[in-house]
Amino acid sequence: MARRKDIKKILIIGSGPIVIGQACEFDYSGSQACKALKEEGYSTVLVNSNPATIMTDPEMADVTYIEPLNIEILEKIIAKERPDALLPTLGGQTGLNLAFFLMKKGILKKYGVECLGAPVEAISRAEDRELFKKAMLEIGVDVPKSGIANSLKEGIRIGLEIGFPLILRPAYCLGGSGGAVVYNQEELEKYLDKGLSTSPVHQVLVEQSVLGWKEIEFEVMRDRADNVIIVTSMENVDPMGIHTGDSMVVAPAQTLTTQEYVDFVNLCKKIIRKIGVTGGGANIQFGQNPDNGKIVIIEVNPRLSRSSALASKATGFPIARIATKLAVGYTLPEVMNQVTGNTAAFFEPTVDYCVFKICRFTFEKFQASDRTLNTSMKAVGEAMSIGRSFKEALQKGVRSIEIGRFGVGADGKDSITDEMLAQKDPELLEVIKEKIRIPTDERIFYLRYGIKAGLSNDEIYSLSSIDRWFIDNIRQLVELEEKIKMFRNNKSSEEIKIEPALLLEAKKDGFSDRQLAYLLNTSENKVRHYEKKIKQSPAYKEVDTCAGEVNAQRPYYYSTYETKDESRPSKNNKVVILGGGPNRIGQGIEFDYCCCHAAYALKDEGVDSVMINCNPETVSTDYDTSDRLYFEPLTLEDVLNIINIEKPMGVIVQFGGQTPLNLAIPLREAGVNLLGTSADNIDIAEDRKRFKEMLHKLNLLQPQSGTAFNFEEAKEVARKIGYPVLVRPSYVLGGRAMEIVYDESLLEKFITEAARVSGEHPILIDKFLEEAIEIDVDLIGDGETFVIGGILEHIEEAGVHSGDAAMSLPTFSLSNEMVNKVRDAAYKMAKELNIIGLMNVQCAAKDGKVYILEVNPRASRTVPFVSKAIGVPLAKLATKVMLGQKLKDLGFTKEIIPKHIAVKESVFPFNRFPGVDVILGPEMKSTGEVMGLDEDFGMAYIKSQVAAGQNLPTEGNVFISVRDKDKRSIVLIAKKLADLGFGIYATTGTAAVLEKNGLSVTVMPKITEARPNIVDLLKDGKIQLVINTPTGRIPRQDETKIRAHVILYNVPYTTTIASAQATVNGIETLIKKDMQVKSLQEYHAQMNKPQPKVKAADRPKAKKKTKNKKRK
Amino acid sequence: MRATLALEDGTVFYGNGFGAQTEVIGKVVINTAVVGYQEMMTDPANAGKILVLTYPLIGNYGINPQFNQSGKCWIKGLIIKEASRIHSSWQAKKSFTDFIKEESLPAAESFDTRTLTVHLRNTAEQLGIFSCSGAAQDELLAKLKEFKNIQAKSTLAKLSVDKPVLLESNKTDKIKIAVLDLGVNKGMLKQLEALKAAIELLPFDTAAEDILSRKPAGLIISNGPEEDAGLDKVSANIAGVVGKIPILAVSTGAQVLARALGAEIKSLKLGHRGVNYPVVHPGILKADITAQNHSLIIDEYSLAGIKHVKITGYNLNDKTVEEFESKQLKFLAIQYLPSSPGLGEINPVFEKFYKLVKGA
Repeated sequence: MARRKDIKKILIIGSGPIVIGQACEFDYSGSQACKALKEEGYSTVLVNSNPATIMTDPEMADVTYIEPLNIEILEKIIAKERPDALLPTLGGQTGLNLAFFLMKKGILKKYGVECLGAPVEAISRAEDRELFKKAMLEIGVDVPKSGIANSLKEGIRIGLEIGFPLILRPAYCLGGSGGAVVYNQEELEKYLDKGLSTSPVHQVLVEQSVLGWKEIEFEVMRDRADNVIIVTSMENVDPMGIHTGDSMVVAPAQTLTTQEYVDFVNLCKKIIRKIGVTGGGANIQFGQNPDNGKIVIIEVNPRLSRSSALASKATGFPIARIATKLAVGYTLPEVMNQVTGNTAAFFEPTVDYCVFKICRFTFEKFQASDRTLNTSMKAVGEAMSIGRSFKEALQKGVRSIEIGRFGVGADGKDSITDEMLAQKDPELLEVIKEKIRIPTDERIFYLRYGIKAGLSNDEIYSLSSIDRWFIDNIRQLVELEEKIKMFRNNKSSEEIKIEPALLLEAKKDGFSDRQLAYLLNTSENKVRHYEKKIKQSPAYKEVDTCAGEVNAQRPYYYSTYETKDESRPSKNNKVVILGGGPNRIGQGIEFDYCCCHAAYALKDEGVDSVMINCNPETVSTDYDTSDRLYFEPLTLEDVLNIINIEKPMGVIVQFGGQTPLNLAIPLREAGVNLLGTSADNIDIAEDRKRFKEMLHKLNLLQPQSGTAFNFEEAKEVARKIGYPVLVRPSYVLGGRAMEIVYDESLLEKFITEAARVSGEHPILIDKFLEEAIEIDVDLIGDGETFVIGGILEHIEEAGVHSGDAAMSLPTFSLSNEMVNKVRDAAYKMAKELNIIGLMNVQCAAKDGKVYILEVNPRASRTVPFVSKAIGVPLAKLATKVMLGQKLKDLGFTKEIIPKHIAVKESVFPFNRFPGVDVILGPEMKSTGEVMGLDEDFGMAYIKSQVAAGQNLPTEGNVFISVRDKDKRSIVLIAKKLADLGFGIYATTGTAAVLEKNGLSVTVMPKITEARPNIVDLLKDGKIQLVINTPTGRIPRQDETKIRAHVILYNVPYTTTIASAQATVNGIETLIKKDMQVKSLQEYHAQMNKPQPKVKAADRPKAKKKTKNKKRK
Repeated sequence: MRATLALEDGTVFYGNGFGAQTEVIGKVVINTAVVGYQEMMTDPANAGKILVLTYPLIGNYGINPQFNQSGKCWIKGLIIKEASRIHSSWQAKKSFTDFIKEESLPAAESFDTRTLTVHLRNTAEQLGIFSCSGAAQDELLAKLKEFKNIQAKSTLAKLSVDKPVLLESNKTDKIKIAVLDLGVNKGMLKQLEALKAAIELLPFDTAAEDILSRKPAGLIISNGPEEDAGLDKVSANIAGVVGKIPILAVSTGAQVLARALGAEIKSLKLGHRGVNYPVVHPGILKADITAQNHSLIIDEYSLAGIKHVKITGYNLNDKTVEEFESKQLKFLAIQYLPSSPGLGEINPVFEKFYKLVKGA
């Protein structure tokens, strides 16, 4: 059997913006699929709304649509492109659901499109809870006792029959969203209601809880000749009850006996056959009773998933690529595994190391949120680590997630110190026990405290249900810690005296230099020198899919402490690219995109690329992105060790976000050559004083500012420059702990948090420019030529973090004069800083003046967005420039101002954090972004909103409630809405203003005063749009409640006047004309024709006098 | 106690002993399976081997006597990366390290098993001397040299039943299947229980006429240690049975049958030892993932030249012979292991063989 010749053109659906539960793993799988299909000569059509992906690079697919992912748009694309087939299994739950609904609506049939890989029946059998249960029982696989609820009443009846605790799982939902564990009828009612509304088919599985059971997963693949392989097993360290996306996971499973393993494998084969995957992979999750081995099946994902990305990176087996080949007709024995280069895909991977996955959470961004982990996923990213033992992998994993920890405790950052434990305080012990019993992101550290406090493996097991094997491994680390401490210095100035053999033992167990420095009371640097002296360095071993049995041609590497290094560095010129580590809010896929482009550019230039990263979801950690890949944490120690082996000509720190940038100074101090803009010039941009001097020299403005270490100093600075002020810590990304402060009383509150985050660095205080328009500029320079990539105008006014703000390229409301001022300022600074590579400028326009807020001599979050909007791969060019090429020779010398409009909108995880208010501010909260592309601003904006999940209405009712400040601006917006035929509902105050202006309004009572109130209307689906601007930092109770329900019932909403304005304009456009689709390649082709100069007057104008949407 | 492994080619590896403090000589082989240490250690087919496990974390799920493949541990030595300090499984009856001690097995951890594996891959599987008694490496290498000059002895007599044993059963079919015991393991016997015929174990050295005189409806030649000095004689006996009754030859048994037919046996640089090996069948799209445990292979050309013999399965990666059969001579032979696909289920090869027997 070989590839199918009856199909020519294949449609691939991506997964859209990065959200919790769906991250870059689908960029990785989608890009692999595009490459695999291209190799086979198929024509490919790709749809994804996320511009920050490698898969949407115009050269990945033949035709690329950056358009909203919904049925209407997909039908238009299908009608236009007429693909023969659809590959639904690579775009996560989003892609799979869309394929399913395209089938249900008869669209696939209408256009004769075949579903490849997993036929629609297979999708239904896995996703539809009733069909799934039936299918599993037919092959004798147990499922937890459960029932399907299509209504509240039904759900309660089922729940009471099964008995508590219960797990609720909404059907067709991503990452367990809307899922919950409930312990009583009250909770059952509450979460059932929520689950029913979350599920797109209004169906919830009410299931017997197998809380505390082992959670075991398998990655399985099957071809159309019915050949099946097991890629790997995985065991969740955290037992059932915590979403696997939030759990610590090991691969392979560690505590299964041979017989259990064989039984699981046998079940997997039966299950994948029964589900009916005909060419692709599936993730199968089981629960297993640790006391008697009883197995129940939890779920099957007949598609590429987060787990399959992890399994792929853990074993070196490219699942997405192989799944794609199987989908187009190949059998497993026919496909080669490119990692070994000489074995077939029909050769089950086996490993000779232990893989550990640990999640990155961002609870600190959502102060009001509950840190408890449960069945609804909350992690925003993850890191994978590899070691020759679980202990080594575990410690490397903890330092990989970049939460400021350097292993499982003993790094000087423990919240419970040895001295505290020595007190034997029974209350403290209770706290520790509670933290072990109730899982949070910090539990791993509490396991250690528990061991130190004298709890036995059995006691910890009975509290946590974490397998004793894992607990004992942590205990071994604690015991080694004690041994190391025997060599502790009295004074830190003393020489290190630990025995080399013990030091080696510590390194083998994954202890970092930081931990050793803390335990030995010395410095990290000294530990490093000592290791050098005794000639102790890590060995790099291969990830080769076969445990060393075959000489692999494209392996990748991990560090360990063994006798022989296998890294075999080449003698070619090479450059090390530092990746971005785990996804988090503020640092995500955009930076991985840049790192990949750096690798591609190095390839073009004939220079070997060496990638260092630990994020298993990414394209950068794919085996064929770079010449050599090191799957390692991005700490100074780990990076320097690799540099020592590889001896690169230089290191790129510009592309991976804040992670590598934080390493820039220590790397430079260690004598490492950093490519691009000089260290001194980076310092000018980063050092407040030098930056101020530079702006002064260039005659550029800056908001007044000052620095402070405490409240007293801050008060002084704020008084001098005048409120409102923007308070923020130094050296953070994503506006962590950043606040706009309007008076002294609030200043005190925020200064404490800022000081904590800032650490030894000062707190920065700037004058906040109210009602200004913010502008982002991305620029590239080679030291001689400087070219602006794009000038982006924020749609919200100043005060919303640039990572959260919607933006438009080109600008849409600024005058030509203003844009020119911005342009001049950017060029002046680029020249002054002698930029080699990328630079991002953030500035604000107010009263005809341009204020420079910030300059970052590195790739910004908007680089992929701009690159796609203008059709120029900025990151690639920047890499070449860093190697010494000139922009002139690369053919990019003039700013491109596209004729079309590209709008960036952000996507927020508020639905994952009940109780957190949805208002935007200077601290970044979004997880991902989408791009709306159109010739018309209104339509581009609407597309961005629809892509971001806001289903904007063209008819129905609007609820409006705005603060006093915004009451004048809202009148025109409301009038427009009324003209468009919307019914207007408003709160008393807002209604008064609107009525005075001749509008007919239904006045809504306060929630507590009467019913039906706005919450009832939202629940009943009577409201199609909510415009609600927050009244202040501490909002009124009603407001919070309204916003919470808006999230719950997924009603489109806007919290700023500016975006309300844009939304209404968009709705008007939407009513007047149909949404059209156009491929990226078409836009780019259009741009290559000579451009008429665009006048600002030709563009739709936003309200001139926009009000500040920030709280006061 | 420091443990040393010295190979024939002079390469030396070190680790820490945690079993018997003795010295052994044997062929050093690797196995790439992640689970199955207890089964591998107690499988008679591994008799005399110094076993290296590539998976680094061993002993996690302890030991349960129920999973023993025979009455004892047959390997000569065990080399691993890390022995688990505790075991955690509801099925475990004792710890892995206690089992090692009970069996007086020399065993050691902290070996760089990866480097050892790559070394064997790049050179060849070879003899090694494994000492957990603190002997110096020169001394060990000298002993190894000396050993090579001593003629190898057969272990078959120890592994096999010493007289025919009819296994207790209530079988519905009134026929008997003989198993020539070259070191048959419990895993296979358990599967045979599911067949409707009585099973009789025969000693490894049963002569052809004695086999036939017991009137079995079919003969299974079991797995056992490869390269055993006693196998020549077994092959000669089998030559007298071929074509007379249906035969199923398993693993080492398949090599014995091939030699009885006149085919040549060759050696792999690095054996197939693990549970992930692909076997493809010419002209058929459905293939199999198999468990394998062999360093010797049947030479394809010499086998293909034999009348009535058809090669029906190859290892997909190195194209070595994994399966052959003869309709005329009524035999099936598999080089891979006929593992049970799951609890209480039997490998299809036994069903196929039983059909052959019934049809005969």
